Amino acid sequence: MSAAGFMVGAGINTFESKAQPVSSSYDIMREVMKYRKIDAHAHINFSPGDVDKQLDFADRLGIEKLSISRPITGNVGTHEEVIKHNDLIIKAIKSHPDRFIGFFTLIPTFAKESLEEIKRCVDSGMSGYKGYLQVKVNDPSYYPVIEKLIDHKMICFMHAYSGIGRGGYRTKYGNLYPNESTPEDFIDISTRYPQAIFQWAHLGAGGDWEYQCKALKDYPNIYADTSGSNNAGNLIDYALKYFGEDRLLFGSDLSYYQSVSKILAANLNESQRKKIFFDNYNNLLRKGGYNVA
Amino acid sequence: MLLDINAHVGHWPFKQLKNNSCATLLERMNKFDVEMSVVSNLNGVFYKDTQAANEELFEEIRSDKRFKTRFIPFAVINPIYAGWQNDLERCDKEMDMKGICLYPLYHDYEILDPACVELIKSARDRGLIVTFSHRIVDSRQRSWMDISKEWSMTDIMPIIKEVPDAKYFVVNAANSIMLSDEDTEILKKTNMLFDTSGRNISNLGEMIKRYGKDKFAFGTHSPILDYLGGLLRIESLRENEADELTKQLLRSENAKRLLGL
Repeated sequence: MSAAGFMVGAGINTFESKAQPVSSSYDIMREVMKYRKIDAHAHINFSPGDVDKQLDFADRLGIEKLSISRPITGNVGTHEEVIKHNDLIIKAIKSHPDRFIGFFTLIPTFAKESLEEIKRCVDSGMSGYKGYLQVKVNDPSYYPVIEKLIDHKMICFMHAYSGIGRGGYRTKYGNLYPNESTPEDFIDISTRYPQAIFQWAHLGAGGDWEYQCKALKDYPNIYADTSGSNNAGNLIDYALKYFGEDRLLFGSDLSYYQSVSKILAANLNESQRKKIFFDNYNNLLRKGGYNVA
Repeated sequence: MLLDINAHVGHWPFKQLKNNSCATLLERMNKFDVEMSVVSNLNGVFYKDTQAANEELFEEIRSDKRFKTRFIPFAVINPIYAGWQNDLERCDKEMDMKGICLYPLYHDYEILDPACVELIKSARDRGLIVTFSHRIVDSRQRSWMDISKEWSMTDIMPIIKEVPDAKYFVVNAANSIMLSDEDTEILKKTNMLFDTSGRNISNLGEMIKRYGKDKFAFGTHSPILDYLGGLLRIESLRENEADELTKQLLRSENAKRLLGL
């Protein structure tokens, strides 16, 4: 008979003796709700009801605020699409100012239009920038955009990837997307603009996070969000070793359960959890006055 | 109580794993109040002779009396490698393993290979559970020496249709578990469980509605995935999605039913 009171078969796992006592003190939902959280990598889309759906996940997991963006993901993109996507975010932050922090998107090759769009988005209450893979983050077309972000003390948050054999640095195997920003691209631009704040997107998006952590270790103005569907067992502990406890930002990228569980399961102390779930990101937002009270 | 139907010990050749021994897994179990774990040896994915991995697991569990009551060992069997019938006999009768893990993508055979069908029928006749995984690791972060293919539920359905009266665990459901209405009905009649570790268990409340509350069980896919994702999916269900009795089914009772505990 096992400790749980059920009989099992014979052999090595006969369970004939009492199992070691197990405490029943771990309450995961109590742990989940114990920490204030800002999701540094969230999205909404154009589907009816999507805002409510994302907020429902956030409520379920005690996520207080979500930094939302809607980059153009399906094609090369036009500036008209940029405006449409940013309008979606403006509408959301105005309807839910207590829950959403808005990040605008751009295609920097539309140079003049992009600078005008930054002004429009800042005036509309946006708090930062989210770029996708139309242009690499270190492309010269980004320079005026990043200089504006520096002026506004805003985060330059970029989609990013590196994976052996798929995209990024092992080009002999072929890139998934030619303009996807790699660690080396981030290093290049962060060195050019040491006063800028860069957010490496989704360590858990499936790329080679070990490579990413090692590559970005020595660049203090590059922060990494921990979002993505991959909640590899040692990801957070490994990232902590390279980024340190002040440069990791909690994020979901719509993978809500993994985003929270990977932090809770990691070998972090209370202070580190608070920093990653909330304080680190809020401190970055605070530089421009976009922080949560 | 919590019973994890999807844990591993052993090594992954392309990346260092943590908490990948019985001793360290037991520490995780104690920390998070998991009473028992189904455990298999990842080394069996890569050994040509998978029985060596099963022997390793057997010896490791036998090495510490605490392990006997906490671990439920599953064997890794490759049905296209010589001697699997003898290996299965020993794993079942001498090592008292309660199920088998099959890795057709890694061991390079089709799921309807006659040898695989024969193995599963033999497992069925012995009352052993058959485990398939959508993937072991995320192929996006794979080594250049690793495989790139992953499975979804449609890849596993052919063998379930072929041997519908076997017992199955489908673990780390990283990809789609959506099926046609016809296959959904077949699956609902099958004695099987999805574990809750996979990323595609993204809305467990809706999935329970579709497949039934008897079709899911707590799993970690430890140490490949973080230890708590599968638990969080269960415990964050609201009352209107899963009442306390349903949560008990998910935490341990469904697993106990299939394991015959």
